[in-house]
Amino acid sequence: MSAPAELLQGTLDLLILKTLALEPMHGWGIAQRIQQVSRDILQIQQGSLYPGLYRLERKKWIRAEWGASENNRRARFYTLTKAGRQQLEKELADWERMSTAVALIVQRT
Amino acid sequence: MKSWRLWFSRKKWEQQLDDELRFHIERQTAANIAAGLAPEEARRQAVLQLGAAEGVKEDCREQRRGFWLETVWADVRYGLRILRKVPGFTAVAILTLALGIGANTAIFSVVQGVVLAPLPYREPDRLVMVLESNERFPEDAISYPNFLDWQRTARSFEQMAAVTLHEGFDLSSPGTPEHLDGNRISAGYFSALGLNLSLGREFNPQEDRRGGAPVAIIGDRLWRERFGGSAQAVGRSVTLNGIGYTIVGVAPTGRGLLSQHENIYTPLGQGDPLILNARGGHDDMLSIARLKPGVSIAQAQAEMSAVQEHLDQLYPDADGGLGATVLPLKQQIVGDARGTLLLLLSAVGLVLLIACANVANLLLARSAARSREFAIRSALGAGRARIVRQLITESVLLSLAGGLLGLLIAKWSVNLVLAAVPESLPRAGNITVNASVLAFAFGISVAVGILFGLAPALKSSRIDLRASLNEGTRGSTGSHHRAQSVLVIVQVALTLVLLVSAGLLFRTIRRLWQINPGFDVEHVIAFKVGLSPSAAKSGSTLRTAFLQLLDRIRMIPGVQAADFSMLVPLTDDDNDTPFWIGADKPAVVQNAPRMLVFDTGPDYLRAMGIPLLRGRFFSHEDTTKSPCVAVIDNVFAQQYFAGKDPLGQTITFGWAASPWGPCQIVGVVGHVRHWGLGETGTGTLAQSYYPLYQARDALWPLGYPGIRIIVRTSLNVATIMPAIKSAVYGAGSDQTVYDVQTMRQIASESMSSQRFPMILLGAFAVLALLLASIGIYGVISYSVAQRAHEIGIRIALGAENRSIFRLVIGQGVRLALAGLAIGAAAALVLTRLLSGFSHLLYGVSTNDPLTFIAVSVVLAATAVLACYIPARRAMRVDPMVALRYE
Repeated sequence: MSAPAELLQGTLDLLILKTLALEPMHGWGIAQRIQQVSRDILQIQQGSLYPGLYRLERKKWIRAEWGASENNRRARFYTLTKAGRQQLEKELADWERMSTAVALIVQRT
Repeated sequence: MKSWRLWFSRKKWEQQLDDELRFHIERQTAANIAAGLAPEEARRQAVLQLGAAEGVKEDCREQRRGFWLETVWADVRYGLRILRKVPGFTAVAILTLALGIGANTAIFSVVQGVVLAPLPYREPDRLVMVLESNERFPEDAISYPNFLDWQRTARSFEQMAAVTLHEGFDLSSPGTPEHLDGNRISAGYFSALGLNLSLGREFNPQEDRRGGAPVAIIGDRLWRERFGGSAQAVGRSVTLNGIGYTIVGVAPTGRGLLSQHENIYTPLGQGDPLILNARGGHDDMLSIARLKPGVSIAQAQAEMSAVQEHLDQLYPDADGGLGATVLPLKQQIVGDARGTLLLLLSAVGLVLLIACANVANLLLARSAARSREFAIRSALGAGRARIVRQLITESVLLSLAGGLLGLLIAKWSVNLVLAAVPESLPRAGNITVNASVLAFAFGISVAVGILFGLAPALKSSRIDLRASLNEGTRGSTGSHHRAQSVLVIVQVALTLVLLVSAGLLFRTIRRLWQINPGFDVEHVIAFKVGLSPSAAKSGSTLRTAFLQLLDRIRMIPGVQAADFSMLVPLTDDDNDTPFWIGADKPAVVQNAPRMLVFDTGPDYLRAMGIPLLRGRFFSHEDTTKSPCVAVIDNVFAQQYFAGKDPLGQTITFGWAASPWGPCQIVGVVGHVRHWGLGETGTGTLAQSYYPLYQARDALWPLGYPGIRIIVRTSLNVATIMPAIKSAVYGAGSDQTVYDVQTMRQIASESMSSQRFPMILLGAFAVLALLLASIGIYGVISYSVAQRAHEIGIRIALGAENRSIFRLVIGQGVRLALAGLAIGAAAALVLTRLLSGFSHLLYGVSTNDPLTFIAVSVVLAATAVLACYIPARRAMRVDPMVALRYE
């Protein structure tokens, strides 16, 4: 198995927002989910996850509240806000455009 | 309370962050155990995966709202602690900054009060001054008939009013007699200005004309001194020039248009008909106007030009060749002061730069000592930006403290500046330390803190971790030292620029004093006399009163000569008048050549010490009954009688309506410098003399307030004036003596436009010299301390004291010489500005070698002196101590 890929600058926000679009989740869960869904290719630096969450919270794209975790411990759950959903759509569209453009150049023979 | 709550919420926030991260590690540990790790190892791995806990937390904190403010507050507290630990450094830095900021704030308060502050009237931007203009004088006094026509026709203005300058009034009651400088104003003057009277009303049109009721508006000072500040003052009476005037209003203090101390106003329309009817005259009158909303100055100018052109055609005799000019009122009031003050502001800015360089040097020296502290901080995870911010916070703290102390210095030094301010500086009463000055001091403090803090901060934050943590290694001192040297060189260069500027002005004043003004500056006293109303009634009574008064003065022991003149050189009084020679009356009198007219008594020449070159001066036989005679000066003779004999020729002078002459030229006298000792301006140079005793009766009441009595005496003023005063009072107890000045004082005052900047520039230069020598001292001391080891080795190897001394002094001198070279080059460019500013320099070129050499020597000597103490210290270095150091 090849080494986990480095995250592109700025994609962390997109990944967090997309993950939270499914359901509210705590920090560790978000990290796990991203890793699983990407089939272990994307491994989030856990150290940069939390500052990222706090940044999104300050921008009011996500909301945090304390709740009980799956193993019945007190955990901080993050939920996507309405503004966050709009932001997600915007970033998805940006991502589409970006990746199409990159693909066009890379696949050119 | 508020900060406590903040602290509480922050506590709670930290708690949550801890909880969240702990939960994360628990879950990760559980996951690691599930993956088959032993519990201990599972937990260790979980912690490692999260990363350095403090780093993660710090990154989270930075996302917190209000985080920025919190760290600033933490930086401030830390900075205060650090600064308290080094009281000597802190005191020197704050004092240096306080001097720089204080001097700047003081000068700014002058600039603010004089140049920047709006005029104290309603919507001052709409106020303009309207003047006449002609070929020779683009801005000339106006005539009353023209003003009335302007007022009637012009549509650009909401309101227009006229005012006369220097109207003398002798107040004889209530209270003690006093001479007052007042103004005559037209009806609506105050409402045009947009200034409310503090009591009563202004003149109405019925009062503003010949035969109107005698009414007056008094100034605040008179109101308080003579009427106890009572509201009942309105309706009471004041006696001016022997006539009772009813007070109708009181003007507020400090808001006069032409002087801050306007005392008294009377209606313009009741003035002397001789002046009011002279359409061609230019007698100390000007008009102000309030533009209608939306009308620009250019539009008003266009209209006024058309209005005046029409008048030129209607009255070609009086108005031919005249124009009208519309100017912003504030620009007219502030005038030349603007340039001088901005020059001083930039000079004092240089002083601040020098102070900044000093503090930057201190910080550099300290940051070398603190390099271990920065290394530890950065090893603990502080980014470079974080350290730079901490250092900038410290320097801004220093500069704010300096600014606070500087405000005190400014408050105190503004009074010193005001003492040096010439009387001619407009709006000087407006100068205070007010809110905008406070804002300036605060702004400049913060800016300066960042300015001098940035370079040392950037330098110290670039750390070689290993080198710095390794005790005993001197880290980055080499590059620090280079930066310090550069700062000292800049200081020396800036100081040289200031010294040269002050030196050039000093040389200018020296030069001006060396000029022979054409009369005797020593042993001559001039003063004015307010005669009794009974004597001032008519021309013939005035003439007799002066004759008798002069006889009494001449009898005082010690008086060598005494006589009067309506015009005295260097007083800035001015009366140029058109004239023509023989029967050559020009078609347009406005464009005729002009001359200065000295109406004097026969003894004036002797009293002033002006040489008679040809013919004769006046005698007591030249009276109203004898033919009119005139005397001209040699410049007049050269300009208008080149190659011809002026004696026997006739001249006629005056404005169109009532010319005086022809008078026969009977003598030629020496030229006197009237427009300043340098006489560099565009003022009229040709001078003429007329016997005052021949003047028409009608001219006396008009001219008499301008008459100065000139006394020549070998005694000093303090000795002779009591005798003169008792002679004046003896002729009438209600008479006043005022404006007593020696000719030396008058000459000295004529140089105030140079002396004021010279005094201030000199003060700045001395301050700069002091700061620069502290800078040199600091750098050399620091370098001696750094090089103690090397010096010790030299001494151990047998170097003599002398050579060590030379080594240290040489280092200082090299810095000073580099600074001098750069400074001299800069001064050559910058002093050109001086010569461009309102004729500040006279008789010295901007690259005057004597000035440059003299100030360079002073500066170099100061530098050597500043190195002396560190050099002595270097000689006393104990080689054993130095060698054991490592």
